Amino acid sequence: MSDNSKTTWMFGILTCVFICLTIYFVRSPILYPHVYQKPVVPSARLAGIPSGTIRISAAQLIKSGADVSGLDCYACHDPKHPPVIKFALDGQVILPKEHTDLIYSMRNCEECHSQEKPQKIQYNPDGSTNIPKAHQDLMQMAHGKAVKNNNCYNCHNENQLNTLHSSTGKKLNFDQATQLCAGCHGTIYEDWLAGSHGRTEGYWDHKLGPARKQECSSCHDPHAPSFTGIIPMPGPHLLHPEDAPDTHNSTP
Amino acid sequence: MADLNTEEGITRRSFLRATTAAAAGAAALTSALAPLRNIGDFPSVEEFIQKHYTELTPAQLTTVLGRIENEVQKEYGIRPHVRALKPMNGVEFVYALNLSRCCGCRKCVHACVAENNQSRSPEVQYIRVLKMPNDGRFDLESGDHNYNPESVPVPGHFFMPIQCHHCKNPPCVKVCPVKATWQEPDGITVIDYDWCIGCRYCEAACPYFARRFNFTEPSIPKEKINPNMSYLGNRPRHKGVMEKCHFCVQRTRAGQYPACLEACPTGSRKFGNILDPDSEVSYILKNKRVMILKEELGTLPRFFYYFDV
Repeated sequence: MSDNSKTTWMFGILTCVFICLTIYFVRSPILYPHVYQKPVVPSARLAGIPSGTIRISAAQLIKSGADVSGLDCYACHDPKHPPVIKFALDGQVILPKEHTDLIYSMRNCEECHSQEKPQKIQYNPDGSTNIPKAHQDLMQMAHGKAVKNNNCYNCHNENQLNTLHSSTGKKLNFDQATQLCAGCHGTIYEDWLAGSHGRTEGYWDHKLGPARKQECSSCHDPHAPSFTGIIPMPGPHLLHPEDAPDTHNSTP
Repeated sequence: MADLNTEEGITRRSFLRATTAAAAGAAALTSALAPLRNIGDFPSVEEFIQKHYTELTPAQLTTVLGRIENEVQKEYGIRPHVRALKPMNGVEFVYALNLSRCCGCRKCVHACVAENNQSRSPEVQYIRVLKMPNDGRFDLESGDHNYNPESVPVPGHFFMPIQCHHCKNPPCVKVCPVKATWQEPDGITVIDYDWCIGCRYCEAACPYFARRFNFTEPSIPKEKINPNMSYLGNRPRHKGVMEKCHFCVQRTRAGQYPACLEACPTGSRKFGNILDPDSEVSYILKNKRVMILKEELGTLPRFFYYFDV
């Protein structure tokens, strides 16, 4: 009887020790290394990537009540000393690196890309974001073809950087930028007011629903307003593909 | 017994001969008619006895729309909402396209295909975009459909999308022998796909090459079906009928812009009610340089090309 209970005790203790050892081996990172996990790539800020043809303008950004902290000029600049514009040898304005970011922060991918189907961001081997071809534009100051409008203070207010001023000296807020454009581009502005210029969405019949109109800087980058090319969508299928004219290399 | 059979004229031999001949005849007839069993696209009885769209009473129309909803659900596994929107009073649709702005990106073409449940294979597209040399000749023959550059626009060229012009004097309607296509009061030229016999006279008559024929049964991926359908608009078509642009009748008669207009990244496409003096298209026709394609044919299109400068 006593032998039996001793044996039972011994078995019980051995079982406990065995279980403890098993847990230790399984848990031990040295003896039982965990499966390698890919390092988590932090989700890129979509707002930092240049958009395609539709951007959200500063005007719409302010009106929508979004984060406009990037537009606070006096977070960096001293209000009493307006920043001096630096020019390159060819007369082009040298854009400060900080300001290329600021231009991008006004962009909003959701204007074009739907939120339900998020765009997959591709990364280069060095970890930097691979900017799609259609988006590789607007790292430049290119306003005007014949006559360059490349002086910051033609539009930005030197003495109050978070405002704009028109050619007549009228002070305008960022959400009134369309008025500023109208100062020079009057005919286009009239067309835009009448609806013959610019993108519209929604309802042609205003009794049944609203028509959404884009402001100037929603489609045009004010710093480089003319459009760069976009990639065309595929053409019709060919009945006899082998006979297709090689439009790629043909010269007109 | 033998005598009786002789009197009746039926011997064992003649009986077997007659039976064999009858069986062989029946087998030959069955095999001759066998190809008929492979014809699967007979219309249903309801579709066969259905009246012309303009002659349907409201009750009959409801039945017809229900039948189409059932057919689409059976084929594509999705319950659509098929409507038959009526033209609005005091509305005449006009389309204007800015040739100065169009960059030839073909986004309108593909938005149209997605909106209007067009066949993906074989490919049916209502909008054609021509790449035209900007040499001042305006020669449609030198236009190229199959351009594929790295990026558009291309220097020295302009791009010209062409689709149904919804003519006020439509040659396609005149030639239709069964009145399966007609002009609605709001200016949209529509097709009753259940009435069309597929003779393709209209395709030959159209000077804008706007009409498309379904040579085979159209194929659309189930997940790409647009369930917002209309009888005269984007409900799935069958083999052997014509189809064409209908100004997105399921959208425009509900007050919305057509799909191609909303897809255009340059804002070249403008649409609206020409009878409203404050509409965008009224402004364009009043103030812009407007061009009518093949004006000399007298088709009086409701589709205008305009220029900014």
